[in-house]
Amino acid sequence: MSTLRRPSRALRDPAWLRWPLLALALAFVGLFLLLPLLAVFGYAFEKGLAFYVASLVDEDARAAIRLTLLVTAIALPANTLFGIAAAWLVTRFTFRGRGLLLSLIDLPFAVSPVIAGLIYVLLFGAQGWLAPWLAAHDLKIIFAVPGIVLATLFVTFPFVARELIPLMQAQGSEQEQAALTLGAGGFTMFRRVVLPKIGWGLAYGVILCNARAIGEFGAVSVVSGHIRGLTNTMPLHVEILYNEYQRTAAFAVASLLALLALATLLLKQLVGWRMRRAIPAHDTSA
Amino acid sequence: MSIELSNIHYRYDGVPALDGIDLAIESGELLALLGPSGCGKTTLLRTIAGLEFPDRGSVRFEGRDVTALSARKRHVGFVFQHYALFNHLSVFENVAFGLRVRGWFKRPRRDDLQRRVRELLELVQLGDLAQRYPAQLSGGQRQRVALARALIIEPQILLLDEPFGALDARVRSDLRRWLRGLHDRIHVTSVFVTHDQEEAFELADRIAVMNKGRIEQIADPETLYTRPASPFVCRFLGEVNELPAALHARWTGIDDDGVVAFVRPHDLDLQPLDGGSGARVESVRDLGASVRIEVRDPRLAQPAVAIYERARYERSGLAPGQAVAVAANRQVLFRGEQAVRVELPDSWRARLPYPAIG
Repeated sequence: MSTLRRPSRALRDPAWLRWPLLALALAFVGLFLLLPLLAVFGYAFEKGLAFYVASLVDEDARAAIRLTLLVTAIALPANTLFGIAAAWLVTRFTFRGRGLLLSLIDLPFAVSPVIAGLIYVLLFGAQGWLAPWLAAHDLKIIFAVPGIVLATLFVTFPFVARELIPLMQAQGSEQEQAALTLGAGGFTMFRRVVLPKIGWGLAYGVILCNARAIGEFGAVSVVSGHIRGLTNTMPLHVEILYNEYQRTAAFAVASLLALLALATLLLKQLVGWRMRRAIPAHDTSA
Repeated sequence: MSIELSNIHYRYDGVPALDGIDLAIESGELLALLGPSGCGKTTLLRTIAGLEFPDRGSVRFEGRDVTALSARKRHVGFVFQHYALFNHLSVFENVAFGLRVRGWFKRPRRDDLQRRVRELLELVQLGDLAQRYPAQLSGGQRQRVALARALIIEPQILLLDEPFGALDARVRSDLRRWLRGLHDRIHVTSVFVTHDQEEAFELADRIAVMNKGRIEQIADPETLYTRPASPFVCRFLGEVNELPAALHARWTGIDDDGVVAFVRPHDLDLQPLDGGSGARVESVRDLGASVRIEVRDPRLAQPAVAIYERARYERSGLAPGQAVAVAANRQVLFRGEQAVRVELPDSWRARLPYPAIG
């Protein structure tokens, strides 16, 4: 069973060490996590509910929310598909370059999002390598929606794959082989055997991916061009408002992001809990 | 459906796992692949199933070449060592799986499917557990679910990988007899892998003993036991004393230092002597139904082991420290890897009990 077990009594520290440590940890959480979160909501409502609602239904704010939802709606399925495919490849086959693929999946975690944005500017920007070809075909990527989608895709690349790879490795492929000997084709096998096995892990990865896609700032900021109503996502909109001394409006939009974050946390906990309960049943041996 | 394997070669990471396997399995036969771990027996089974593909050689079912056919198309029932049940599906759905994944036109109708799954569950005596999940079953029950799941596609060939490996001893022997009974009823060509010689002997019509990617011998249990083709087979089929020429020359008349006599513990005969500097009983261990006697001979590096039934032991007058003469009721001779057949003179047979070495 993988439920959290209480640590052994023998490992417990004495009270004089335990209580100060606990106090320190709680103080940190309170000061750096809880207080700022409360502050977001405090500032958002400082001019009353009417102003709060007005800030959210403002035309630019609505455009920003729409764009964020659009980008997420593209990045999420794309990276879910990619994540499943990559995890499948890496766990079920051995091939030349498998190690390289594994490290490359982690690349977006390793590089700064700003650099990720810059890469796309250098590739597709006005002075970029592909600029002449793009110009000839009348395609605009940088300072436009496609650039934002690309940057978001890049930074949210690893979430699903990273979640699935260890899970699929641990589960092994015997059930799939069994399905194969029973005459199941590739798609049937995926739908009836693989998907139920990885379901909760997949959900977990998708939730994390979703949170990051909505909240991404750095990479998107570089490629977006901050064109109000056109290429502003929610995080960028918050920044612009704040820079224009519209503090309350900025925090109103920010509170929306914070709510999304809280919802994500809740979902994540729920799925994590379901996953831990499901794993003993996934145990193929015994 | 008969199976013919010819000249199967398979390398795993450059190491030969199967090294020129030729094997013909008759229709309706129950064959055991017996060998130590790492001898290639599971790889061979998976090759028949189409879960591994040989580098060279061919696999034929009833004369039809299936070497390049995938497991999906071979229509072979396979029972995995750890069962590989679908944990998210009930017992019923596990068994129904093979029917549900069929193409739309070949899929049986709902009531037909229900009936067939029920029938199979009755056959494996799991009728009342249909709605349980694999996690709620015992090892033996899971094993039978795996079997029913493999049989639903009505395979002409059934392959079982260490079918009793994960079960405890009592369940194992019950299930073994039950499986033999089942095979006698449904007569599907069956091959199973095991490292347990007792299991192979109890279940199989014929046994293929494997070692290092090769088949050492394939024969019925009796032939295997009485006329093993190599020292490996002889050793693998159970405990055996290896007595060098110096000890057995007087039983056989072969005075050749290269020849070793292989004698099973229950074929060793011990006669008490009044004294002498030769063999002595070193220890006696009670095994319940039988008694294990170790005899130390100054000319042997290892003690010789005899196993007596309890009554025989009580009659024999043997005890630790007793000087004994050692003789063999039956033996197999090898010179190196080569079996040595000797025609013993009639007079030798007549001189029972055999001339002992004191």
